[in-house]
Amino acid sequence: MKIQSNDERDFREVYEQVFPMIFKVSNNIVRNPDRAEELCQEAFTRFYDQGKTFPSLNDAKYWLIRVTKNLSINVVKRKGRELKMIEKVKKEPKAKIKTGEDLMVEDQICKEVRDAIAQLPEKFRVVITLKTYTDLDYKGIGATLNISESNVKVRVFRARKMLEKILNEDQE
Amino acid sequence: MCLDDALLNSYLDGELLEPWKTQVEEHLSYCNGCQMRLEQLKDLDDKMKSTTISDDEIESRADRVMTFFEKNRFDKPKKQNIFRRKIQVNLIPALITSAAAFVVVFIGSFVLFGTNNQQTSEILPEVNLPIEASQVQQVSSEKKSSLDDFSLSQIIHYLDSQGYAVTLEVKTVNPLEDN
Repeated sequence: MKIQSNDERDFREVYEQVFPMIFKVSNNIVRNPDRAEELCQEAFTRFYDQGKTFPSLNDAKYWLIRVTKNLSINVVKRKGRELKMIEKVKKEPKAKIKTGEDLMVEDQICKEVRDAIAQLPEKFRVVITLKTYTDLDYKGIGATLNISESNVKVRVFRARKMLEKILNEDQE
Repeated sequence: MCLDDALLNSYLDGELLEPWKTQVEEHLSYCNGCQMRLEQLKDLDDKMKSTTISDDEIESRADRVMTFFEKNRFDKPKKQNIFRRKIQVNLIPALITSAAAFVVVFIGSFVLFGTNNQQTSEILPEVNLPIEASQVQQVSSEKKSSLDDFSLSQIIHYLDSQGYAVTLEVKTVNPLEDN
């Protein structure tokens, strides 16, 4: 089924299926729901305004996930540069968050996992994020990121290994 | 020999193809160590999956962003449709017919009066003719006859009264004596 991105009916169909995924992906990278919402809007705006034709819904999905991922990573990189500047002045970014409020135990775990994901190198973080928060299989992730399927497999495996290591270190 | 992590990860993700899949499942059925390891990986995956925003919140955000598109993208052609419909419904019976009639009369007036001079003089003789006959001809005849109508002595007298010193010289082609 062909997808015409600026056709309202096609747009709605893609939107319904893809928005939750790209929102999760973006939120997982930028770790700010409002910013993630903006980025998703930006991605879908580009999708609509460019009036592209996709051979299938999956191709539209890959395109949207790729664009959202790139937008989100750019935001993080920009933020990272800003944070570095702040850290030079103020050397306590982590302690402040922990003492802020009494978090529920579940929230604590969520935060730990998120922090752990954030610590991964970019190429592993992206792959494991797509694997976890979208319905893409290895092949789909490969198509989205323009890497081979076996490369995806290796990165998923290594990303999980790194995450376990980071989380175990935190517990000790 | 036990299963390695790479294989278990692929199995967990449902990416293992058939001959290997059955073999892995068979091994898992009796090997506690590998089962434990698989559980750990599953646990991590579940933790990560739960580390996201609730479906309700995502839905409300999805609705909000969709409203943006309904307002800023989809609406544009719709608005045009509404305008067109209004024009079709309200203007065709009343204004457009009268406007069309007006246009016909307007263009017709050009056809009748603007382009054809013969017809113009036939239709409006009283306005055009008296002006040309009486006024224009009188003015032009006065101007034409202005110098010829005065005698030489009158001209000299006039110039003299204005303070000009006038010397009269008469030149002819043939000698005067011949006359």
